[in-house]
Amino acid sequence: MKGILLGLICLGVAGPVLAEPSSKVAWTLETLNFVKKGNAEKGKELMGTCAGCHNDTNANPQLEGQLPNYLYKQLVDYKNGNRKDPTTAMNGLAASLSEQDMADVAAWYGKQAAKLGKGGASDPTGIVSKGDGKRMEPSCSSCHGGSGQGEIVDTPALAGQKADYLEKTLLAYKDGSRANDIYRRMRLIASKLSDQEIKQLAEYYSKLD
Amino acid sequence: MNPNSWISKIRSRLGLCEQDLQIEHLEKNWLYVAAAMVAFMVVILGIGALFLHLNPPSHWETIESPSLHLSAEFAEDKLGVQPTTLPDGTIQVTLVAARYGFYPREIFVPVDKNIQFRIASLDVIHGAHIPMTNMGTMILPGHVSEVTTVFPKPGEYPLLCNEYCGMGHDHMWSKVTVLTQDEWAAHKTGGKQP
Repeated sequence: MKGILLGLICLGVAGPVLAEPSSKVAWTLETLNFVKKGNAEKGKELMGTCAGCHNDTNANPQLEGQLPNYLYKQLVDYKNGNRKDPTTAMNGLAASLSEQDMADVAAWYGKQAAKLGKGGASDPTGIVSKGDGKRMEPSCSSCHGGSGQGEIVDTPALAGQKADYLEKTLLAYKDGSRANDIYRRMRLIASKLSDQEIKQLAEYYSKLD
Repeated sequence: MNPNSWISKIRSRLGLCEQDLQIEHLEKNWLYVAAAMVAFMVVILGIGALFLHLNPPSHWETIESPSLHLSAEFAEDKLGVQPTTLPDGTIQVTLVAARYGFYPREIFVPVDKNIQFRIASLDVIHGAHIPMTNMGTMILPGHVSEVTTVFPKPGEYPLLCNEYCGMGHDHMWSKVTVLTQDEWAAHKTGGKQP
């Protein structure tokens, strides 16, 4: 009886439950060091499963040369359901991985040479380098780097990424179906872009070398 | 000059010969004066910080910056103008400064009322400044900055970052709309993400 009473009081004190955060990953020193120490050799054994789908024959994102922090965060988010794969394949796969596996596979892909674009990239929107002050839109390059190489802590590299994937991702941020960006930062940015601009930006980054 | 003096030792380490560094007597004296001034300032700063407690403004309240989004106060759905005021009627506004913006990007507050901003940084040092008002504070990672102000004039104001925080620093601004008392009474939602 006492236990039930205590339980009821606890429930009352806990109050309204907070909405789910967009990601449970926090870049504390421990997490940063944990990912940094990922074992690329072990990751190599695991990557066979990844390479079955992440290759040149389809529109799945290429992972070679991506920031390990970004890859790790995406895997954790998939596992926790903060990022939802429309096919649910990534959610299922990530659920079978331990955090150590994630750090290992992220380390392996991070060490591979990035597949850059063919060149000839031009940005008719002007948003890549200048942004748009009227829309409170920062430039892409301020976070993703001048050559689309990505930046600390977990801003992904974009140069040479598949255009289809980039377009799909920006559209998903725009309509909110991808929502694992902390404080809605990419959702706010994408929501102000027209579909046409999204297409042009995706094309720009896919060609960037 | 004495070859064993510390200046001579540094010179020999750097591979500089005596004749490379011909410093006029008068010039050298002025160097000593400048160095003494710098040392004096450093001592004054040290005394101020350590004994007189002249630390950066705002109160001393720590928070873990990387996991800000997982904290109760700075959770993503708790930001903006708070639904309940403090006992003295002060309106609380919770903001997160992160590269490159203040979140939420747009807030509405009333004129002639105490507004208390509580701001924390997710990443690096930022500054918050609303031009034409006295609202200004530095936002250090790991700390909650608190500043209270009253906006005397309704209108739209930018909330700017005034500490260089990275390549997108010039894009780091958000919008604060100060409403008249009537508009505020009609305004129900408070802060919202544009």
